[in-house]
Amino acid sequence: MKKLYSNKLTIFLFILPALLLFVVILVAPIFLSGYYSLFKWNGFGKKVFLGLSNYKELFTSNSIGFIRALGNSLLLAAFSVGIQLPISLGLALLLGKGRKGERGFLSIYFMPVLISTVVIGQLWLKIYNPEYGVLNVFLRSIGLEKLTQIWLGNKATALGAAFVPVLWQYVGYHMLLMYAGIKSVPTEYREAAMIDGAREGQINRYIVLPYIKPILKISTIFAVTGSLKSFDLIYVLTNGGPLHATEVPSTLMINMLFLRNRYGMGSTIAFLLIILCFFFALIIGLIFREKED
Amino acid sequence: MKKATSLLLAMGMVVSLAGCGGKSESTSTEPTKAADPTQAPAATEAPAATEAPAATEAAKDPVDLTMWCIATESDSNRHAYVTAIDEFKAAHPEINLTWEATQNESYKTKIKAAVAANEMPDIFFTWGAGFIQEFVEADRVYCVDDVYAKYKDELPEVMMGNLKFDGKYYGAPTTFNVVAMFCNMDLLKQAGYDAVPGTYEELLKCCDDLKAKGITPFGCSGKENWAISEYSESMIQKSVGTDKMRAMYEGKESWNNPDVIKAIDSLQEMVKKEYFDPAAVALSNDEVKANFIAGKYAFYINGTWNVADMVANGLDDKVQVAEFPVINPANAQLGELIGGANDSLAVAASSKNAAVAAETCFELARGICHYGNLDGVGIPAWKPFYDTSSLSKMSNTVADIVANASKTVLFGDNFLSADKANIYLDYVGQAYATAIDGQAYAEGLDNDLK
Amino acid sequence: MDNKSIVNTKKMKSRGSSSRQGNRVKETWVYILFGFWAIVNLFPIYWMFTFSLKDNTEIFGENVAGLPKHWLWSNYSKALGIGNIGRNFINSIIVAVVTILIVMLVSLMATFALTRFVWKGRKRMNSFFMLGLTIPIHASIVPIYTTLSRLHLLNTYLALIIPYAAFSLAMGILICTGFMQELPIDLDEAACIDGCGTWRIFFKIIVPLMKPAVATVSIYTFLQCWNELMFANIFISDSAHKTLPVGIQSLSGQYMTDWGPVGAALVMATFPTLLFYIFFSKKIQDSFIAGAIKG
Repeated sequence: MKKLYSNKLTIFLFILPALLLFVVILVAPIFLSGYYSLFKWNGFGKKVFLGLSNYKELFTSNSIGFIRALGNSLLLAAFSVGIQLPISLGLALLLGKGRKGERGFLSIYFMPVLISTVVIGQLWLKIYNPEYGVLNVFLRSIGLEKLTQIWLGNKATALGAAFVPVLWQYVGYHMLLMYAGIKSVPTEYREAAMIDGAREGQINRYIVLPYIKPILKISTIFAVTGSLKSFDLIYVLTNGGPLHATEVPSTLMINMLFLRNRYGMGSTIAFLLIILCFFFALIIGLIFREKED
Repeated sequence: MKKATSLLLAMGMVVSLAGCGGKSESTSTEPTKAADPTQAPAATEAPAATEAPAATEAAKDPVDLTMWCIATESDSNRHAYVTAIDEFKAAHPEINLTWEATQNESYKTKIKAAVAANEMPDIFFTWGAGFIQEFVEADRVYCVDDVYAKYKDELPEVMMGNLKFDGKYYGAPTTFNVVAMFCNMDLLKQAGYDAVPGTYEELLKCCDDLKAKGITPFGCSGKENWAISEYSESMIQKSVGTDKMRAMYEGKESWNNPDVIKAIDSLQEMVKKEYFDPAAVALSNDEVKANFIAGKYAFYINGTWNVADMVANGLDDKVQVAEFPVINPANAQLGELIGGANDSLAVAASSKNAAVAAETCFELARGICHYGNLDGVGIPAWKPFYDTSSLSKMSNTVADIVANASKTVLFGDNFLSADKANIYLDYVGQAYATAIDGQAYAEGLDNDLK
Repeated sequence: MDNKSIVNTKKMKSRGSSSRQGNRVKETWVYILFGFWAIVNLFPIYWMFTFSLKDNTEIFGENVAGLPKHWLWSNYSKALGIGNIGRNFINSIIVAVVTILIVMLVSLMATFALTRFVWKGRKRMNSFFMLGLTIPIHASIVPIYTTLSRLHLLNTYLALIIPYAAFSLAMGILICTGFMQELPIDLDEAACIDGCGTWRIFFKIIVPLMKPAVATVSIYTFLQCWNELMFANIFISDSAHKTLPVGIQSLSGQYMTDWGPVGAALVMATFPTLLFYIFFSKKIQDSFIAGAIKG
């Protein structure tokens, strides 16, 4: 048996397909992106070596507006951590305590996660439609005509309007993870605390939250990296407009690549995105570790 | 027929003045074409409308050709493509042509990918000038000088300006389009106008009168910057003049001049006075066009390819086509237009049957031009050899406008390369949204289009 | 997940003590909150369904949020007929199914080597694969795009299947590892004594026992492929291979002013997954939990 399970060739053969797929499609492209980011290249012509000037241009050029795009996605990350996760946690705590119909509510709250982001985007486009969308129709019907907006066309409201569906869609996802964690808190802990006269809030604060910390960490990482790389919904809702008010790095990248033929610059954005995602995952990991001590 | 010929002659002058395309190319200013010294030997063959392409040897061996274009089922060019291709296939059983259409935006990605992989179809749809230039520079496009020599009499050299790089030709244009002002005469009548305002001052006055009647003068999509550029370019052209405008695109003239700034400021003033439908900032161009067709706006400025849609919606009697009035008569006159022969077919350098493909390309371009003209999706780039009496009223007006034109310059986003075009459109969008004023517009373009 | 059943039997207790007046008021508020949030989640879906069956006059004023007065099923045939949604649907299915098969096989094989075999560096190999969970799919778009175009794979199903499989792999391995570790090693030993080789043990013993993992990984992978937009939008430009998200996107572009057919397309893209979800909600939820908690 031991011999069977230490045969090098067999190990190699079993791991090879996964390794190949992984290295060719995931790992190599990271390095290639880094390499391309040093060139001026339109995708089919000659590559011209530029050194780091793509990076310099990215951070200094106003007409590209990378800083603004990055700022938008960091803002989304902040909303995600500051609004979306607390809502998820609150719901998960309420549901996880054990109430009649909790599974039903849980299933309903999780539904938006399963719907394709394109569908969600198209749907919210209709909701936001200035003339016929339910939002403005509703506002008009309750006499708040003044509050009606061209939600996605107005520079002042577009970013907020685009964020709402993004945050809305994934509340259920984080809630589900937290719910599962809460459900796995051993009942004895709860009971013991209750016998000691702890109130629900105290139980949550001192027993449940510390117990589900690993999940809170995962949720935070997903929320932040997810915000950094957010694309689908923004692309469908505004594609970065009006006047770049809702631009995020991914929409900018696609723009560079396929509208402006700037493969070098597109790769620069891609490479920075990967680094940022790793960086934030690391930082969040560290924050949660410190708290544990 | 007579009209068509005179139109062609006039257009010849227009476009020869317009020139454009390759940065290295100097614009020809001769109104009539001198013989090309590098002419192909086949030029002795008299070209005729019914001539078979691909000469004799091709008739023996069946040839497989592939073609890509953007004439999807919802595209207004669809009918022209289908008819022209069917006709071509019937006339040339020895050529096995397969074609597919891709939606405009995806097509741009698709053709670039194909160019990058050197996996292009034999014949492909392309825009001239800025779009095809990078392909030509990467040696991916077949030079059609030899074949063009045979078609010279039917396709005036001036129409080839956007496909000419370093003195060589790289494709065949289909239709010619300009920007025009579509005017809903019913709405104008309500404001007391029986004719389209002929001067800029009258136009502004008319907008006030329309507003007083509760009619929105203009509709313009705020979501698609190219649609805005149809307005901004019309205004800039009629302020600075065509030649200067072209020089600005070419980087030979500064954008920073009082006429450009004033044109943009005037545009913004019109926006502030709500001459433009404010709700349209969130609409696509198609939605805005639908609004105009539904009678929501008095004016809609866009390309003449829209004539087909207008006519199909029964607006031939209700809507008049006009030229944007002159703003600064010291620099510009009536007869200066935005537009050109830009929709084209080209042949891949990698094509195994490039010579046959090139002839097919010209035959198809001529057919598409012919049927497209009859459908109202464009003015012919080729000399009409067919009866044009069935053309809609609107198509005839467009033809008249072009016949009286003296100068044209291509749409800015077509003129410029992809990167610059997007920067340019960005500024146009910002100007329309009054995020930057005329001064910032001019200075920004000077800085960023270098 | 394994301890959820214990909790369920105990929860009656905590509810039993909530009989005081204040608690009842509080409970009412909690349920009002639950109800409100349920509406926030369900209303858009309900609205999508109703406007998919209306004509513009109803949608645009007469009857914005009510049930349709005339159930306009023709919107559906319109979306299918003009919009090619049927074709997109089939494409999405093909891409998803093949991707799932590849992910399943490849991650089971890798997991087998990572959990059953004893070798130096397997821990490191495992964490290497886990890196895949944090790599954003979008960031590799240029190299993948240029590689695919050089291999002449753009506009084929493979252009999507290969990257999708690669990006679902990490999660596949993660989930499979959890399940495979729970299989007792005695099984392998017994088979070994019976004279089975590694490949036979893998295919005859291990794989059949991994059914729960297969379901979990399949669901996860399915949703990834079914919803992905960026790659699908760029790697596929001919209508014959377009997937559902891209199809919907272009249909909505063409029918800006006619909402009914767009709504019908949205519903058609959504309801199969939702129906499936209604029947297998627990399984689906578990597959999402599995990935996150074990990571």
